[in-house]
Amino acid sequence: MRRARRGDGDAAADLFRRYWRDAWRAAFAITGRRALADDVAADGFERAFAALDRFDERRPFAPWLHRIVANRALDVLRAERRLSGDEPPDVPDLVPEHGSGDRSLLSAVADLPLERRVVVVLRFGVGMTPKEIAKTLDLPVGTVNSRLARGLEQLRDVLEVEHVD
Amino acid sequence: MSTELERRLEGLFAELPEPGPEVGDRALVAAVAAIRPVAPVRRGFRSAVVALAAALVLLAIAAGSLAAAGALHVHFGAAKHSAGEVKTLQLPNGAAGIAVVVDGRLSVVTRSGFRLQGLPVTTAALSPHALYVAAGIGDLLVAMRPDGHRAWVRLAGGTVVAIAWAPFGNRIAYIVHAGKRFVLHVIWGNGTNDRVIDRSVRAVRPSWRADSLAFAYVGGGGRAVVYDIFHETRSVVRPAVAGVRQVAFAGAGSHLAVSRQQVPLGLGRLGRVGGRVVAFASDGDYFVFGVRTGTAVRVVAGTRTSRELVLQLPRSASVRAVGIG
Repeated sequence: MRRARRGDGDAAADLFRRYWRDAWRAAFAITGRRALADDVAADGFERAFAALDRFDERRPFAPWLHRIVANRALDVLRAERRLSGDEPPDVPDLVPEHGSGDRSLLSAVADLPLERRVVVVLRFGVGMTPKEIAKTLDLPVGTVNSRLARGLEQLRDVLEVEHVD
Repeated sequence: MSTELERRLEGLFAELPEPGPEVGDRALVAAVAAIRPVAPVRRGFRSAVVALAAALVLLAIAAGSLAAAGALHVHFGAAKHSAGEVKTLQLPNGAAGIAVVVDGRLSVVTRSGFRLQGLPVTTAALSPHALYVAAGIGDLLVAMRPDGHRAWVRLAGGTVVAIAWAPFGNRIAYIVHAGKRFVLHVIWGNGTNDRVIDRSVRAVRPSWRADSLAFAYVGGGGRAVVYDIFHETRSVVRPAVAGVRQVAFAGAGSHLAVSRQQVPLGLGRLGRVGGRVVAFASDGDYFVFGVRTGTAVRVVAGTRTSRELVLQLPRSASVRAVGIG
């Protein structure tokens, strides 16, 4: 990290390679689209690296990076929602690529409202604690817990209905 | 159930797809280039920076006071204007659509009856036959269908300052103001396969060759450059004239016009316009331009044989981009 902050290209590349995959997958899980995940993760890294001079190197890099990526993903999705009004957002990539996996669950996650989907992704996809999510999204911990609980409840309802069917 | 669900969720996210390798390579280059190396800060320099910051704060306070007293008009950021001045935009005879950006707001009218008005944008361009309109909104590149619905959105990584659709509509060249640089991208018309073509260009609208396989732009050194999509090659236009401000491929064939003047190319054939041209675009047989006269800004559209006034604005209006299809 110290070498990367001084502008050492090799060290920066190592740092990138260590965290790129997780950052991209977090972006993909939130946006549901490969093209947007490409943009969001790349932009997140660019912003993070541009701000390395202000980063406190005693702190872990991953939560800081995920915070930037998650917020960029939210910015883009909210902007898209403003533009499209009531039109449902496109989620073309998330489900079809997972024909062999837990398709019903993936489909249910993709259908969660954005605010709930983000906390579910950060909790179970990125492995953040509710406190870390609260800090990342600049929300009270109680709000995070509530969105998490409602998100899980909604997923459970969907899966139970499918089970009955 | 909850524990089982949580286990399934963790398993689910562990199986998410991997990013494409080429995406990672591009992101790596961009990220490393963004690093501002930390340099030791000397005490004297730091003091000077603090003093300068303090001086700027005092200046801002003084300016604010003067502004409050009516002695000075201060704008922080973009000035706000009413969008009401563009409400008379008319579709010219025979055209499929027309788009105008006035004072940072986009108005579009298409033959299908679609009318968009007052959307804040940085720039915009109609696709051939006005099937789509692409616009820079914040740091997004957005394509909308004529029914007003979004077709796709891409994060541009900066402000989009120029957009040019290929004549076949299959690609878009666009320029992003990223940090201190203007970066040229090409993206497919469906919003996929975005690629950086040149990381240092001038903020001049690129111009596509009629076959949609190449386009011209102005490189960072102020020289006209042609990028060949098929061979992925760049070549400086000879003779290599510096200070180029406009490039325009002919509507048919492969002749390229290059100008060091701000006057939009291709206008000569239209004869006298009666003022200073502030924006110009053409598509096939149609053209549209904004012209500032002594009393107004007029947006005129038409063909070689006819012209019509489609919008009239106060002289203070700023017409940044126009498009016709």
